[in-house]
Amino acid sequence: MKILVCIKQVPDLESRFKPDANGVWFSETDLAFRMNEYDEYAVEQAVRLKEQLGDAPEVTVLSIGPDRVVEAIKKALAMGCDRAVHVQDPAVHLKDPWQIASMIATYAKEQGFDLILTGMQSQDRGSAQVGVSVAEQLGIPCATTLVGFSYADGTVTAKRELEGGVKGVVKLKTPALVTCQLGLNTPRYPTLPNIMKAKKKEISAVPVAELLKSAPLAQTVSFHAPAKKGSGLVLEGDVSELVNKVIGILKEKTAVLR
Amino acid sequence: MEATREIYWNVGHGVVWGMYLFAFLAMGICAWGFWKRLPVYRQGMLAQSKVLRVLDPGALHALFFWSFGLLFVGTLLIMAQADFAAPVLGIVFLKGAFYKLFSLVLDVAGIVALLMLGGLLVRRFFVKPEGLQTIRDDYVVQGLLFAIILTGFFAEGIRMAATEIGTNPGLARLSPGGLLFGTFLVGMTPAELSLAHKIVWWLHFFLAMGFIAAIPFTKLRHIFTTSANYLLADLGPKGAMATIDLEDESAEQFGAASVKDLTWKDIFDADACTSCKRCQDRCPAYATDKPLSPMKLVQQIGEIARETPEANLCHSVGEDVLWSCTTCRACQEICPASVEHVNKILEMRRNLTLMEGGFPGDEVRTAIGNIEVNGNPFGLAYAGRGDWAAGLDVATLESGAEVDILYFVGCYASFDKRNQEIARNFIKICAAAGVRVGILGKEEKCCGEPARKLGNEYLYQMMATENIELFKGYGVKKIVTTCPHCFNTLARDYKDLGLDLPVEHYTTYIGALMEQGKLQLAAEAFEFTYHDSCYLGRYMDIIDQPRAILKQAGGQISEMARSGLESFCCSAGGGRIFAEEKIGSRINVARVHMAKDTGAPLLISNCPFCLTMFEDGIKTGGVEGEIRVRDLAEIVAERISQ
Amino acid sequence: MKTLLIGEYREGKLLDSTYELIGFAGQMGADTALFLVGSEGQLPAYDGALYLADTAVAGEYNPDLHKLLVLEAVQRENPDYIVFLHSSYGWDLAPRVAAALQVAQVSEVIGTRDGGFEVGCCNGKMRRSVKPATGKAVLTIQAGAFLGVRPGGSPKVTRLSNVSAAGVEFVGYEPAEAKGVDLAKAEVIVSAGRGVGKKDNVQVIAALAKALGGELGASRPVVDAEWVAHDHQVGTTGQTVAPKLYVACGISGAIQHLAGMKKSDFILAINKDKDAPIGEVADVLVVADLMQFVPALTAQLQK
Repeated sequence: MKILVCIKQVPDLESRFKPDANGVWFSETDLAFRMNEYDEYAVEQAVRLKEQLGDAPEVTVLSIGPDRVVEAIKKALAMGCDRAVHVQDPAVHLKDPWQIASMIATYAKEQGFDLILTGMQSQDRGSAQVGVSVAEQLGIPCATTLVGFSYADGTVTAKRELEGGVKGVVKLKTPALVTCQLGLNTPRYPTLPNIMKAKKKEISAVPVAELLKSAPLAQTVSFHAPAKKGSGLVLEGDVSELVNKVIGILKEKTAVLR
Repeated sequence: MEATREIYWNVGHGVVWGMYLFAFLAMGICAWGFWKRLPVYRQGMLAQSKVLRVLDPGALHALFFWSFGLLFVGTLLIMAQADFAAPVLGIVFLKGAFYKLFSLVLDVAGIVALLMLGGLLVRRFFVKPEGLQTIRDDYVVQGLLFAIILTGFFAEGIRMAATEIGTNPGLARLSPGGLLFGTFLVGMTPAELSLAHKIVWWLHFFLAMGFIAAIPFTKLRHIFTTSANYLLADLGPKGAMATIDLEDESAEQFGAASVKDLTWKDIFDADACTSCKRCQDRCPAYATDKPLSPMKLVQQIGEIARETPEANLCHSVGEDVLWSCTTCRACQEICPASVEHVNKILEMRRNLTLMEGGFPGDEVRTAIGNIEVNGNPFGLAYAGRGDWAAGLDVATLESGAEVDILYFVGCYASFDKRNQEIARNFIKICAAAGVRVGILGKEEKCCGEPARKLGNEYLYQMMATENIELFKGYGVKKIVTTCPHCFNTLARDYKDLGLDLPVEHYTTYIGALMEQGKLQLAAEAFEFTYHDSCYLGRYMDIIDQPRAILKQAGGQISEMARSGLESFCCSAGGGRIFAEEKIGSRINVARVHMAKDTGAPLLISNCPFCLTMFEDGIKTGGVEGEIRVRDLAEIVAERISQ
Repeated sequence: MKTLLIGEYREGKLLDSTYELIGFAGQMGADTALFLVGSEGQLPAYDGALYLADTAVAGEYNPDLHKLLVLEAVQRENPDYIVFLHSSYGWDLAPRVAAALQVAQVSEVIGTRDGGFEVGCCNGKMRRSVKPATGKAVLTIQAGAFLGVRPGGSPKVTRLSNVSAAGVEFVGYEPAEAKGVDLAKAEVIVSAGRGVGKKDNVQVIAALAKALGGELGASRPVVDAEWVAHDHQVGTTGQTVAPKLYVACGISGAIQHLAGMKKSDFILAINKDKDAPIGEVADVLVVADLMQFVPALTAQLQK
């Protein structure tokens, strides 16, 4: 069985973001990077499935981006993926979801993957399109927002998280694609032997030009900080003064305090 | 002809004399030479210095030890004369003045030994100190020793009744013990005395042989094992851990999963342990109802090694037990048997972390993940690490400014609001002393110590090598830090990874500045109590210098009962600064109450973890307004006189 | 400008959020037509064209089939924009339609700007303006970003043909865990976010809730960490609330949470980060250490 996990390296979301020189994405200065949180659930689920099937399946992890994404790839390998594909693209941030999806689909087409997993969205762009788009381009069934996953004999039984805490249970037959949501599993912390084994695992480098065949369907016109809302009052200072101010405001503006 | 040869052919049998004489001489010199070289004396085994650190029952044991030692030496002397010197050389030395001294000393030793045994018996069976285990061995040992000494006095008493008491009362008085026993027997007939003596003599002999035979099977083995441990104890820097070679591709096991992954000394420690429970008495985890007892842990390892050596060590000992340790070293510091508790726990933690990806809790996993991404456990963007220094007289090394010292700030002083005050005060002190300070700012990473103590050697080495590269790249000459954990790690642990620079904790650094006259304080009186942090006190033996500084600052100290090397941990060591305390009662609250009980209104500490734990402990412990905690840097900075 | 709005229907009900699509179109000044896989018995209060398929035949969740039905409506209506809600139904279906048509998709629109659509990114901390480069485009709009508009009246229904497709088999719904706390009825909610730091600190927030006579709420990470039970969760996967007073303690303001409480009458946020996105919706943002401010406020209220 062949499994593909698609991951993205994103900046740590605690950082302060500033537009880059072109004003269409964030500047990378002073940013720390990590694997997209949703993709961690995908990697973990892929590795769990491999373990469930007696280690027989081969799990490939793929990521597109500059050299720094190799860090994220190594983490996926340390978690248990068998091999990796690094699509080398120093300008990945300028590709739109359609281009990303079509590159992945172009790669995956000839490989015969039984199951593709990815996060439901990325923490930086958050368009939630790439996963579904890949499935559509490959013509395979797809379910999104998984918080439950089980597999037996070529059928995936998935639980989708819906609004209000309700779950929708669906079944798909492989080859299929699923996107993963927070709550699906707790990603494992790589053990040292696995970190060391990962250093020996194959990472094939593929130049982006080999896979990129389409033009973007949408353009980012600007990347900027949100406008400050005028109505919001920001209070700072000594705690006891703040307490008095807040109580005063609550008395005045709400009917809550008498 | 018979296949043999004539021994001593040609040189003659007369050589035997000289041979044995010189042989003994040579062996004597050899033994003496070894005695001189062995660190046994430094460990003070003969002087019983470690045992005497806790006077009750240390004094009882020490006196018993010396008495028993004297009796043993006495027996050797008798053997030397009776079986060798007299028949072979015709020499008798147990006579005259020497014999009188010999007689008195040994009798007194016997009486002292008997009294000490009695004291120990009362303590174990009547006073019953909390936590003292009494097992079958204890009955056997007490019984045997009493019986041996009593039969010894009996035999002596009978002999004296037959040969001395009546005829040589002056000599008899020099054996007061024997005299006491013998006086009652004077009325017996010589035949009765002879029979009684033979019986008691043989009884005494067999009891003594029984004693020797029983040594390996009972607690008595500590005579050899504990003494041996003095030889085997690690005399290296306190807190040193093995630095795992992460490049070694053949390594399959990291940390201790079973007893075979421990060193043989780790298992030997179980035999050297005499169950004195001094470690348990001082363990902050044990004191607050965590399942960890250092004594039981060490013994359990021995038990597993004997009975189920294939068993998974960590799961047999228990994860809660292992994660409860704060690496405060109180156990190791007080142990009179030189048992090394802490590194066993750390090796087992390495197995849990590196082989199983385990953590004491999710909050710890989050902190570790944050260190991986941003170089600090808070998850705050690394770019802001140097922001605390905005507007202050301190340069980043990146700017190329000339500096006298690199101030390694550490995660807490960089990001935690309360601890940033310490950093700022340290800068103020340095500025007043004319010291040019540089920091790494956003390039600085966590020193890696908490990760290392939790078992994550990989993350530790990753952080360490990045920091070391920076130190070397910038040509740093001297490092000063305000955190004892960073201090220990940079000064000791980093040596294994290629760093060899002078590293100082700010307390001794400030002390030196004051001695050199570069920093002057205008004393302002205040009352305080002082907390010796584990990593400054026990690990680095820096106990007097901070007190001297605070005295010069005008401080009047009320010491806590547990201070100096006996200080009681704040709970945050061993990586536990990241963890929630979920079992038992709060260690930091216990310590805050100890501080409050001194009556001092101010508690002074020297470590960011301690400061954080005590601020929390004051609130949680309901003593807000009754005691305040501050760092030494704050006290000094307020009193700078320029 | 013409829009085709994709309504939502679940567990036998037309979802109210469908009207937000109409509100959005109105803000854009666009003409509308509605698409719905639903039922005759629950038609929306809307007087325009409605392309309708019956869930009895097409199912409530059958993305491959629903995609074909949408494409049919697109073919007939020829809209400039096909607009979905950014919901578990919308973000699942929209990219399929976009891929089939090979047109741009802009996700989770919150407004327009610079001639493009404004969307959030980087966990809500930043914004992007995106312009489709194709003639048509698929849009998804953020839940709660646009006020629902009920035009009233009855739609002119066009029934869509029966087609079949089944890549995904729908098995059924699993109900949410029983709710012990009904936050929907609370007048005051005080919520704990990741900023409280640890489980022990939640009681501090609960104490404030009590002092204000309200209920304890929680953001999703706090529930996932098991510091608070799920029935206190506010947000898209928890409860949507609109109390008179909402106090957000240590909550950064991730979109999923904001969506659940944006409609509160008065929002007070307490956070040590002055730039936290919660400041966007808060009426008052107190920049302070939670564990210092909240107990002080509670104490003062109890006097």
